[in-house]
Amino acid sequence: MTVVTREDNKAIVRPEGDGIVAASVPELRSTMRGIVEAGVRDLVVDLTDIHIVDSSGIGLLISAYNSLRKVGGKLAVIHASADVLELFQTMRMHQHFSVSGN
Amino acid sequence: MANPGRVDCEMRTALPATLQAVEEFFVEFQRRSREMLDRVNCFAAELLVREALTNAVVHGCRNDPRKRVRCSLRLTGRRLLIAVEDEGDGFDWRAAAGHPAEIWDCSGRGMEILRIYADHVRYNDRGNVVTMIKRLC
Repeated sequence: MTVVTREDNKAIVRPEGDGIVAASVPELRSTMRGIVEAGVRDLVVDLTDIHIVDSSGIGLLISAYNSLRKVGGKLAVIHASADVLELFQTMRMHQHFSVSGN
Repeated sequence: MANPGRVDCEMRTALPATLQAVEEFFVEFQRRSREMLDRVNCFAAELLVREALTNAVVHGCRNDPRKRVRCSLRLTGRRLLIAVEDEGDGFDWRAAAGHPAEIWDCSGRGMEILRIYADHVRYNDRGNVVTMIKRLC
């Protein structure tokens, strides 16, 4: 299951499974939306267990970033694998939010 | 004379047009790819197949489980041929290619990923079959 660690207005989300892909995006979207609606403004997505992110997953992260930006918050992605990090850089994700590797 | 570095392998499947079926396919794909692509980075191959299958299910077949999506993977040496066909009406890929996602858009990056990660991408006229070639390294 997706693990959420929260402290004040900061939360770290560690998604369930090994991919953020079309099939898993709806549930993760619901989780992240709930976190932002609950007042979190500093959201970190921990990709430690994630080996792949597809265009649906990229869309989810940009959507979360857009939502947080509207309320003065920020998004960061940490522990991306080398392949996912390269994908994010190729897709210019670092222009939206902080992305760091393992 | 046999080429010891050359591996020929083919994987064909037909799935109901659901994302659950796509995930079930990838359990088998990952098992087979570990056998087929030993020491080769499978990330690009999986990403390309995922994008093509997801597009076929979601956009081609509108998640209609009565429709089928056919996928064929053929590995010849380090050359992977990927073909995905759906039973949908197809789409205007020429128009879509001319309108890439804007930086704030939350969707519309699938075709861009195919273009970047594949060495060659081709659609049929109707837009319900995509064929890609990826040279693995």
